[in-house]
Amino acid sequence: MLLEVRDVTTAYQGLVAISNISLDVAEGEIVAVAGANGAGKSTLLKTIAGSERARSGTVRFDGSQIEGEPGHRITAAGIAYVPENRRLFPRLAVRDNLRLGSYLFRGKADREEPLERVFGLFPRLKERLPQRAETLSGGEQQMLAIARALMTRPRLLMLDEPSQGIAPKLVDEIFDAVVSIRQSGTTVLIVEQRLSECLAISDRGYVLQTGRIVIQGSAQEILDHTDVRKAYLGV
Amino acid sequence: MTLQSIVQILASGLLMGLIYALIAVGLSLIFGLMDVVNFAHGEFLMLAMYASFGLVALTALDPIVLMPVIAAVLFTVGALAYVGVVRLAMRARANLGMVQIFATFGLAIVIRGVSQLLFTPDYRNVPNVWLGGRTIPVGGIYLPVPQLAGGLVSILAFLGLWLLITRTDFGKALEATREDAGAVALVGIDKNRVFTIGWGLGAALVGIAGAILSIFYYIHPDVGLPFALIAYVTVALGGFGSVFGALAAGLLVGLVEAMTATILPPSLKSIGIYGLYLLVVFVRPRGLFGSL
Repeated sequence: MLLEVRDVTTAYQGLVAISNISLDVAEGEIVAVAGANGAGKSTLLKTIAGSERARSGTVRFDGSQIEGEPGHRITAAGIAYVPENRRLFPRLAVRDNLRLGSYLFRGKADREEPLERVFGLFPRLKERLPQRAETLSGGEQQMLAIARALMTRPRLLMLDEPSQGIAPKLVDEIFDAVVSIRQSGTTVLIVEQRLSECLAISDRGYVLQTGRIVIQGSAQEILDHTDVRKAYLGV
Repeated sequence: MTLQSIVQILASGLLMGLIYALIAVGLSLIFGLMDVVNFAHGEFLMLAMYASFGLVALTALDPIVLMPVIAAVLFTVGALAYVGVVRLAMRARANLGMVQIFATFGLAIVIRGVSQLLFTPDYRNVPNVWLGGRTIPVGGIYLPVPQLAGGLVSILAFLGLWLLITRTDFGKALEATREDAGAVALVGIDKNRVFTIGWGLGAALVGIAGAILSIFYYIHPDVGLPFALIAYVTVALGGFGSVFGALAAGLLVGLVEAMTATILPPSLKSIGIYGLYLLVVFVRPRGLFGSL
């Protein structure tokens, strides 16, 4: 397994946000995590990415234990994380946001190669290079956030609600990009509220409800599951 | 007043202004990076001047030659101040702003107190400096050589800082951390490392200023206070966090001080600076180049 999450519990100020979550992601998969607002999806990604600390449980990436490591080390280990609010550097140019993505690499080739890859995925970013990130539309900002993450040359890309606040036409573009990202060898763990669109491109999925995994299985199994709507709506 | 004396006043004002800018820029850099006002900035300057005094006594070299060493000493002081004091203060769970203010203010008091103990409150000056007391004639006016050298060093330091910020990976990391310190981990940058180097850099810049100042200014444990006050005015004037605002504001402060000193008795020379400051606070509170 590329990523193994075992019995992870994370709490904010004493309130448990996710409890005893276990989840696996194999190399080359697209795995979806669905659930209603507040189900703990974002907390799960934050815990893996090192921006929240697990109270208990283990996270292994490519065989080594990563929980408790600071976020920048986890990025360096090969996990790129695109948070819900994207966290671009708003007053820096698109070019600089991308360039910062390859901060960890010193070689010219290591910086140029992923740049060609992201221009292939999101050609419109190439036209926007000198613009400040804050001047981009919501969809373009999401593309830039994914592009910046890919510049770190990750083995695992984690996306938190990439469709949020984006024009419907661009949502398709982003989901298409996720498929190409996987085709080019990067594993994807994606958190979404748009259940059917997300499962359509995923191999497997998990459904969270109030911090626990209530359903898991192949994408088709989840779509067919009668309890999904219930879990999803949180009733 | 003759044209010559006006040029003389402007020139010496600008030279002193370059030194004020160099003192202020480290303060602005640190503020821009992490929204922390370093109230021990004047004490850093004082330490730099004592470092100059001590190193000159030890090596019999000139402060100009020792400047890189003094900058390195202050880099260490700044980095330690972050790691040992500010980083801990930033873990406060409530009243973060206040905690930071009192942490650096407390650091200032400790540094001053320990300096009084170790160095005694005696006034000292660096003896037999090459540039001390000399003037050179330029187009009919006379410029003091230490201030001239200080102005040149300041310009070079700003140039170096500009190159660092615009041309290097670390400069980009610095800018990214200014923008969103919580997001730099997403690209693999360790924000604590950037903060540590940022504090080191800010202190090293005031270290260079201290080396220059030690050539023509007396040294004592409270010497940092008036300069720090001017530095706060300069930073507020230029816009908090703006590195090149500090340069412009430093020059302005130097000019205003030189002009006030010719109009009013020398003991009132600072009135112009604070008057200008009040004006800016009323008219344009974010400073000349601030984006707050």
